[in-house]
Amino acid sequence: MSATTTPRFDPPAARPARPLAGRNWRLGIATVLIVGAIWSFDGLDASIRDVIEAPGKGWGIVKQMWPPDFATVYRRGAVGKIFESLYVAWIGTMIGSLLSFPLAFMAATNVAPMGLRVPIRQLFNAIRAVPELIVAMLLLTVTGLGPWAGALAIGLHSVGTLGKLSTEVIETSDEGPLEAISASGGRWISKMRWGMLPQVLPTVIGYWLFRFEINVRASAVLGLIGAGGIGGELVSQLNFRNFPEVGAVLLMVITMVLVIDTISGLARRRIIAGSGRAVDGGDDERSANIELIRDLGGTGLVG
Amino acid sequence: MSGAATPSATARPRKPRVQLRTHLLVVALVAFTVFAAREIGFQWRSFAEMWTNPLWHRFWPVPWDWVLNRRNVLDPLVETFQIAILSTVIGCALALPIGFAMSKLTTPNAPTFWLSRTVMSVLRAIPDLMWGKLLVTAIGIGAFAGAWALTIFSLAVMVKLFSETVDAADPLPLEAARAAGGRHTPAVRTAVLPEVFPAFVAYALYVFELNIRASLVLGLVGAGGIGRVVETQRSTFNFDRLLGILIIMFVIVICIEQVSVAVRKRLV
Repeated sequence: MSATTTPRFDPPAARPARPLAGRNWRLGIATVLIVGAIWSFDGLDASIRDVIEAPGKGWGIVKQMWPPDFATVYRRGAVGKIFESLYVAWIGTMIGSLLSFPLAFMAATNVAPMGLRVPIRQLFNAIRAVPELIVAMLLLTVTGLGPWAGALAIGLHSVGTLGKLSTEVIETSDEGPLEAISASGGRWISKMRWGMLPQVLPTVIGYWLFRFEINVRASAVLGLIGAGGIGGELVSQLNFRNFPEVGAVLLMVITMVLVIDTISGLARRRIIAGSGRAVDGGDDERSANIELIRDLGGTGLVG
Repeated sequence: MSGAATPSATARPRKPRVQLRTHLLVVALVAFTVFAAREIGFQWRSFAEMWTNPLWHRFWPVPWDWVLNRRNVLDPLVETFQIAILSTVIGCALALPIGFAMSKLTTPNAPTFWLSRTVMSVLRAIPDLMWGKLLVTAIGIGAFAGAWALTIFSLAVMVKLFSETVDAADPLPLEAARAAGGRHTPAVRTAVLPEVFPAFVAYALYVFELNIRASLVLGLVGAGGIGRVVETQRSTFNFDRLLGILIIMFVIVICIEQVSVAVRKRLV
């Protein structure tokens, strides 16, 4: 620095200090997460060597899956089983939607009396808390092994999530049409048929389809415990370590899931947005979607 | 028409006709439903038998001293939590960079963008329990395989949720950071990350919830945790013990959901 040049720009004297509290918080949370992860890892009975070797083992299996042996799984009727999984998901969705729809009316604040709606809401919550696989396991004692147990389990489980969401749709519907029908002397049933149903049905059917997408994945999984469909085929091929066949079955599952997601997504958009141009609701819609997926109990996610 | 004489009484608008296409669609869907129901052996009587199943009485009374015994239920339950915690932490940590790579806004280059998107949507198309079964075969029975399965699955779910949030983030701070000469990673870190981080935490909690639910049943395919106990008790027909475990699972799921909802409400 020389004394002759006049500085044209004065840098600020000092940066303001970083808020310390925020930093402490971050440090604390990071510590908790890391300690939690280490404690968890410690409980898994695995050594560092296992961790290092695992990706190699996984990759070894993936390599054995290539090329996938479609011929053998086709001969064993895998295509039929893919469709069986689809049927299970579809029937499950049908059972779930047809049972949940009337129940949702009975649980809505603006339709049902308190004495009716509280127990039904609790029923929805209770169903939602039991994993599907457990429901299926219990139902196997009723129906015996097979796809029907899976469909029934999926159906009963869907009642919880679909019921909750449909109730919310009914509760947020516009009162105007209902009032107009009352004013012109309509009975309760006409109010529901002509005032409520046209308002709620598009959204509710959208949820049914959404749940169908989730159920397709669920039905593929249910086969793993003997409730029919493609999951059973995957298990038997895995147990015999026929990896080329496993690869073929996996590719079929992936294709099924992606195809159904695409078709159902298009149908949902058509139902909710109508035949006009597609409407993108932007951020609000996106965050609402995530809550929705959560409420539907979904793990697979669609765009 | 007589209505033409009195202009005040206009004719009713015509009732909109339902299109033929809609009718055909409904018929096709009903036919498909009936067909599917027959294919999978739909039975009305199951709905009644569900309530009168002779096995139900064997679910009661719950042997609480067995259920609350530390070795029988608590230890596997802790293992369940360990699987869920570890896979959530690792899955979400990995999802942060990959999620940025999967958004048009913050992706470093086109190949990374397409590659990460394709790989992740394929990973996501395989359900969680199926990952469990696959990894049990690949790296051996036990909780370790379960943790891998849920890590992969939470990564796949997380990047989807997170990259969509990044897509919706404000592009201007990033532009400013780049205009000021920031390199890619620091620019994204300082200009985009602060905006999307609360959402990231909220999704991480959601994924944790998913992982708890999934890890409860992972044991059914041999991937460790409480599901293993469920499976052994089921195969030995100790339904009363089974019910005890189910009640505990039920309480856990409800508690986790309540906590997670409360925290997420504060965040977003």
